[in-house]
Amino acid sequence: MQNEQDRLELLEKAQRLIKSIESNDNLVTAELLSAISIDNEKRLFKEVGQLTRNLHDNLATFALDDQLTALTDKGIPDAKERLNYVIDMTDEAANKTLTAIEEVIPVTTEMEHKSEELYKNWNKFLSRELSLPEFKVMSAEITKYLESSCKNTKFVHEKANEIVMAQGFQDLTGQVIKKVIGLVQNVEDSLVELVKIAGAQEATVTPTKATGPKDKLEGPTVPGIVVEGAVNNQDEVDDLLSSLGF
Amino acid sequence: MKILVVDDFSTMRRIVKNLLRELGFTNLDEADDGQTAWPKLKAGDYDFLVTDWNMPGMTGIDLLKTVRANPQTANMPVLLVTAESKREQIIEAAQAGVNGYIIKPFTAATLKEKIDKIFARTSG
Repeated sequence: MQNEQDRLELLEKAQRLIKSIESNDNLVTAELLSAISIDNEKRLFKEVGQLTRNLHDNLATFALDDQLTALTDKGIPDAKERLNYVIDMTDEAANKTLTAIEEVIPVTTEMEHKSEELYKNWNKFLSRELSLPEFKVMSAEITKYLESSCKNTKFVHEKANEIVMAQGFQDLTGQVIKKVIGLVQNVEDSLVELVKIAGAQEATVTPTKATGPKDKLEGPTVPGIVVEGAVNNQDEVDDLLSSLGF
Repeated sequence: MKILVVDDFSTMRRIVKNLLRELGFTNLDEADDGQTAWPKLKAGDYDFLVTDWNMPGMTGIDLLKTVRANPQTANMPVLLVTAESKREQIIEAAQAGVNGYIIKPFTAATLKEKIDKIFARTSG
């Protein structure tokens, strides 16, 4: 911006310029036009210099902003650990479920075949087509079948419970993903701030202060992320509670 | 025995309910956070509360404190089943009067053990 002194100097040069044009003094006219042009360039350079300084200062302040530092130092690496944990958890749950099903299917198939066979013989018996020796064989088979059926249904029940428990991954990975979404939001906010600062001309833009995570709850323990003061397993919870008189 | 299961993840509510059914509890109800749970607890004759900690609206710890602060529900056994594993949180829950604390992921055996312990204590 042009200050008062610059304005007076320019006015004086303009008056001399008019006089030199009126008196048809080409040499002086050319000199004055050149001087006015140089003044303009100087002002422009000064302004660009000022803008550069502002941008530099703002970027320096921004780089020191707690939030951005925390995000690059901890947030992003933590997010990677968390997402890896999600992959591991979903992998584990899928494998547990598939293993349980793979163990159950042969058992149910065997029971299916056996019951079909017994059903056929039983119908024969009802229509009096079964001889006494055949009936004795069938009786022995029914006894065996009932024994294995008790064992097998218990086994299927246990496997069904294992499948139920494996679904716990959805809650835990959901909590972890919510945390990562929060982190992405923080990164986005910081980038928007950066764009504002880079786009600002002379206004002094102060980056917003780090506010910290909105929820202070840590969520599931993720391998590779150390949470200060966290227990590692149920036994440690139980020990802590018994030390408190539980 | 009427039990209320509170968790913001419906899959976890289903898991806990399945496990409770396995243990012989059949009168089960559910809510997705403290805010929806509290009117139910106040209105219904529940005997036991199983709740998560980290939920939107009202958290499990606030629900526990509300339950303890109300004479109608003050003596209800409360079991926290949560992924929160900080010592200070476990201590906070103990001070608020929790009856059991299970960290996720947990096993069916752990749930059974804690429930047995809670009822052995409250009935004894």
